[in-house]
Order: sequence, then structure tokens, then C-alpha cells
Amino acid sequence: MMRRRWLVLALSLSSVAAAQVRPQDILKSPGKDWLTYAGSYNGWRHSPLKQITPENAGSLVPKWVYRVPNSVRLQTSPVVYDGVMYVTNTNAMYALDASTGRLIWSYADGRAEQSGPNRGPAIMGDRVYFVTSDNYLTALDRQSGVVIFSKKYASVEDGVTSTSAPLAVKDKVIVGSAGGDSGMRGFIAALSADTGEELWRTYTIPAKGEPGSETWGDLIEWGGGAAWLSGTYDAESNTLYWTTGNPWPDFNAAVRPGDNLYSCSLLALDLDTGKMKWYFQFTPHDTHDWDAQSWPVLLDMEWEGRQRKVVLHANRNGFFYVLDRVTGEFLRATQLTDSVNWASGIGKDGRPILIPDTDPTLEGKWVCPSVKGATNWMGQTYHPQTGLLYVLTLEQCGWFNLSEQDPEPMKNFPGGGATEEGGQVILRAIDPKTGKRAWEYPMTGFGRMWTGTVSTATGVLFSGDDDGQLVALDAKTGSHLWNFNMGELSTASPVIYEAGGKQHVAIASATAVFAFGLFEPMEPLELPKVTTRKTE
Amino acid sequence: MRILACVLLLAAPLAAQHGLYEGESKNPAIGDPKAIAVGEKLYMRSCAGCHGPDGSGGRGPNLVRRPMWHPLTDEKIFSLIRNGLPGADMPATNLTDDETWNLVAFIHALIGPAADNPAAGDGAAGEKVFWSEKTGCANCHAIHGKGGRLGPDLTNIGGLRPLALIKESVLKPSEGLYFLGNEAVAVKLKNGETIRGVARNRDNYSLQVIDRQGKLHLISMRDVTELEIREGSPMPGDYGKRLSEAELENLFAFLARQSLRKGEEESK
Repeated sequence: MMRRRWLVLALSLSSVAAAQVRPQDILKSPGKDWLTYAGSYNGWRHSPLKQITPENAGSLVPKWVYRVPNSVRLQTSPVVYDGVMYVTNTNAMYALDASTGRLIWSYADGRAEQSGPNRGPAIMGDRVYFVTSDNYLTALDRQSGVVIFSKKYASVEDGVTSTSAPLAVKDKVIVGSAGGDSGMRGFIAALSADTGEELWRTYTIPAKGEPGSETWGDLIEWGGGAAWLSGTYDAESNTLYWTTGNPWPDFNAAVRPGDNLYSCSLLALDLDTGKMKWYFQFTPHDTHDWDAQSWPVLLDMEWEGRQRKVVLHANRNGFFYVLDRVTGEFLRATQLTDSVNWASGIGKDGRPILIPDTDPTLEGKWVCPSVKGATNWMGQTYHPQTGLLYVLTLEQCGWFNLSEQDPEPMKNFPGGGATEEGGQVILRAIDPKTGKRAWEYPMTGFGRMWTGTVSTATGVLFSGDDDGQLVALDAKTGSHLWNFNMGELSTASPVIYEAGGKQHVAIASATAVFAFGLFEPMEPLELPKVTTRKTE
Repeated sequence: MRILACVLLLAAPLAAQHGLYEGESKNPAIGDPKAIAVGEKLYMRSCAGCHGPDGSGGRGPNLVRRPMWHPLTDEKIFSLIRNGLPGADMPATNLTDDETWNLVAFIHALIGPAADNPAAGDGAAGEKVFWSEKTGCANCHAIHGKGGRLGPDLTNIGGLRPLALIKESVLKPSEGLYFLGNEAVAVKLKNGETIRGVARNRDNYSLQVIDRQGKLHLISMRDVTELEIREGSPMPGDYGKRLSEAELENLFAFLARQSLRKGEEESK
């Protein structure tokens, strides 16, 4: 009898249609929610929220911390919707109450054949998506964590693994491919958001005989060009912007004569078909493992007296590029870091003006930037009011060595090796119109540089210090406003959202997610009456 | 009228974090069907008397539940069979190395995911039992997103849990459970509203409740006047009486084959 009453009451609750994340919601985001890796399809990592200001940022305090199980070096950029934060770890996703940090549900794929970093989830409809290290796109009901599907799109036997946050656009979820340092064939694929079925696949390296294959030697089938970072999307032209990784073998370039298309490039792909509209190769015939994995930031700005649709790209190779995003035309490249000794500049044709004798040798070559690059994948911020792009950069050089061993695919043999030494991380504000630095903020630490940035409308910029500090700066001037020691290195990017009516800034440290908000004294809480009732 | 709730309180998400596979040995007997078959005979002859034919225990401990929280490596199981437990009723044996590994291989399969082993019943018939109004399992449980949201997801239950534990969860849903995350609650709010469902998490300061419609409620304890918690599982405990032996076997077979990875391999 008791059960009957209980359940009748449960059923009598009005049927609630679960709120759905619609494509137009992500197009308008971010608002209170943070709905995609970079907050918006244009890759700005910028929030319109205004509660946190340069004046009150000094009052930021941690609101909660969630220790992510089995985590070692989290790289996840959270997604937040309707008061729930979704974070990923290797082969696992966690749904947290974004106001309290309490776990709501978790999903872990204990049978995954690989383990590696995971950079975050995607959301669309009533589902959240993430990829397993062994290439399964997994869709979960966002409120309950129930599995809708887990669909394999690539095989680890082909040298492919997965690390990136998927990008959910309209009815598609876009996934990429990692593993380029061991030999594989990179690709970007669109899967059905409904079923996980593959809709199209675009390889980043041509097949033998296809146009572009003449820029390779015999190892083209293992050419790399991994697409291991998510991309940006321009709704007006229905175009995806995706970057590709290094050619393989990384340091032994003698076996791959030519430009090695389309490695170390930015690709513009049609969302509906995957067809390549244009490509731009930043580092033709790369010999230093300078993947192009850094965020392509989409922007409309004045260029030589007229408005142009551009894409900004701070590249690992030490240069900061501006391209026309409709045509792929090269507009300008300026030096991103001071330490660049492999090219004296970028020519009018967009190709580097090479300084001779910088390829890896058996004895080793001292080259700047180091193998980590002048920047990397973490994510930059464009602030529409300051008009500045904020990029965490690394002034570092390193040794590049060639190996005498013959390259062997999937043996994790990149044809040599690289080590870096010393280094200085500097957060830089760059004016995209001129390529000049507006200000710079040097960071302490060991030259690791793996934390991204986020800004808020009032002009506060957040980034991670190289020592495990989350730092708030004045976006206009680069002045220090606030810092907090998270106790361990962060290798992820911060996000901004509103939950419970309060603005939060959240970031993953190596093993936990921290959420910060403005200090408010806590009122004592009167515990409610708790009763227990036996099951009949 | 009976409104049925069929909540298998298996706390499914926890399993993958407790190293069910951590103890896998490289001994060739592990996973070898022939070795498992030989091991099964040895088990039925010498072990089933105390540990039960399905490993669910009796005079001896339950072999199936224990590894969820305290996993044993295959080598440790080998050593226990060989040397026994001095001071307890578990005797030493004088089996050969090969025989012992065959036995370990069987126990490994017994305590491993149900989907890895053949189940006795008819899965196709069990599928009908699962989705029938008579059982009402899908009122609370989902498979591939179809079904209710109150109880644990069963999409991968065979890939996570041993068969004996699936059986126990259907027949004795309130036995030996880990309740946090699966408590049926009624939450009276200061605004007069009452929310009923399953608390996926709670502490003195907040509650995260999923209701029968699958809607999530994030509740601050500041807004709560009264919290009522049900002891025991909201899942009916009488399926052993309501279903015939054949229906149960078929249902177990259907649940045992619910495995994400296995399904993927078959569909290729």
C-alpha cells in the first residue's frame, strides 16, 4: 500500500519536457551556460557575464573543489548547462552540480583499450558526448548519465587514438584523430548526433595518387597529420576550421621529400560534406614537430580600410598569422615569440623564409622555438571590447636530434628526439590589426605552459600560472588583480558560467576541478527534518 | 492495480572504478574456454559445496560480490587454492599447476562480466520479459536510452557485472547494497512543492534528485523543510515469486548479454 501511494504521487508530478540544447543556443553562447570547448563556435573563450569585475576580482574565493577519480593530468575544458557541469577524464565523464561541486552521475568505460588525455565533452539536445581513447563516440543522457550509444569510428590497430573534445554542430558531432607521432593517417569525421553513424570523413593526408600525394615519399600512408584538437565553426558560411599535426616521422624528414600536405595546416571544411574549401600550411615539410594545433580564432575586423572575415592563428612555429577565412588568403604573419631561429620571417606567399641548417642532425641542432612550440593547444581568448587576443606563449629553445634507425610505423618512433631547456612562459596581449603586443605578463615556473585563458565582459582575464596558480589580470593593461594557488600544475583551460545566480570561473588542475566565485559570508543552515521509512 | 518498479540497484557506475580487471594474469588458461570447462568440473566437485554453484556463497564466502570491493589477483586466487587459509575452513589442495590454473580460469570467468560467459536461458525470450508490462523493468531502467531513468542504466550491465550478481539483484534487490546514489526520497520544499525520485547524491547541504520523468532537480538544503528517505530498495522484492523459473533464466540471459563493447563487435 505504501509503495502504491509513493509511486502514484511520483507519477502525478506533471510531465516535464526536458530542456534541450538547440543548435541556435550554442550559436548564441556563451551566456549563463558554457556550451562548447571554447565557449563559442568562433573560439573566443570570452564570457558576457559581468558580476566579476576588475574592481572586485580581489574577492574571488574557491566555492568548491571536485577531486576527479583516477586523474593524473586533467586536460578537460568543462561544459556547463542548466546548473550542471560536465567534465571528462580518460575514458570517463562526470556530471557535477555546478553550484556545489557534488557528483550527480559518472560514467567510466572500464574496457577501453587505450588510455590517454581527454580534452572535454560536447553537448547537444538532451545528450552529452565524449570520445574514449580507443575512438568510441559515447552519447549519454545529460540528466541521468544513461548511455544512448557508444559507437566506434576508428581503430587503435591503425595507430589512431582520440583525445579531443568533440564539436557538436547542428545534427553532427565532429571528431578527430590522434597518434601522429607514431605513424597513422589523420582524419576529421562527422558522426550523426542521433546515432553515431559516420556521415563523412576527410583525411588530412592524401591517398597515393591523389592531389597532394606528390608532396610525400613512400611513407605517405603513415604520414600523420593528426587532427587531435577540436576546431571552430562559421555558421554563415557553414565552414569548419580544423588544424592538423606534424608529418611522420617527426624528425627524419629525408624520407618524406616535399611539403607533406596537409600536415601542420589549417583546413576549411564544408560542414555538410567535409569537402576541403581551402588549406593553409604554416610549416611546410616540418622537421620540428610543430603541429598546427592551436586555436583558429574567427573574427570580423577592419583590414586595410575594409571589413574582412579573418581567422587568427598563433602557431607553434613562433609566428602569429592572420588569414582571410573565406578564401584562405595569407594576410600577414608577425613574430609571436622573440626566440625564433629557424626562419627570418614569413614571406608574402605565406611560406617561411628559412634560415639554413636548422633540421635535426645526429649530433643535435639547437632550435627555437623548442619542440613544445611558441604556444600550443590550450586555447586563446579574444576580448571584443579590448580588441586584443590573449595567448600564453613560451620563450624556449631545445635540441633536435636525428636517429639512424629506420622509421617504423606504430612503434612510437618519431625518427629522432627533442629536448627542451629552461624557458619562460609569457602571457601576451596581441593586437590582431597590427600583430604588435599591447602588453605582456611573465609567469614563474618551469616553462611548462599548458594553461589556456578566458575573459569576462568587464575586462578580467584568467589564465594559469606555470606554478599551479590561477591568475586574474586586467585585460586592458595586464595588471595583476588576483591569484590562487591550486597546489598543482594545471594543464587545462578555464571557463566562465553562472549557476544559482552567481558567476563562476572554473578550471581543472591536474587532479581536480576548482570553481571560484565572489566572497559572500555564509549564513548558518538549519538542517531539515530527516525521516526514514521502511520498504514494505 | 500494481504500479511496478523494477530498480536493479547495482550502482553500475561504481564497478568500472574498482579494478575488476586489474588482476588479470597472463597465464594462458585465463579466458581459454577449454581450461574454463575443465576448471568448472573441478569447481563443481570441490568448491561449489561451500561457495555455491554460482559462486554466491553458502558455508564459504560469496566469491562474486567480494571482488567488487577487494579484488584478488589471479595469482592470489591460485595461491589461496593451493595453500588454503590456515585457521579457516578453506583447505589446502594438492592439485597440479595446470589443474589449479584451470580452476582459477573458471573462477575468473565466474566473477568476471556476465557477457564474457554463456548464460543458460534464452536471451530473445528474456528480452520480451524485460520489456513486458508484467515486469515493468523499463519503467525505471533504460537500455540504450529506451526506458526509465530512476534506476541504474542497464545498457552495459552484462559488460560490468558477473551473472550471479545480476541474479541476486533481481531476486533480492535490497541485499547488501550500496545505497548512496540510489535512495528513494521525498523532498518537501519551503515553497510547498514536494519532489519525489531517487537521490543521486546528497549531503547536509544539497541534494541532487532525478524524478520519474528523468528530470534532474538540484536542491539546496536551505530550501528543504523535510526529507523522507526510504530504507531498502524501491525495486519490488518478489520477482522470484512473480516470474516462473524459465522467465527468470531468460531475463538473466538477456541482461547478461547487455554489453556495450560486445554489441559493437557483433554489429561490425
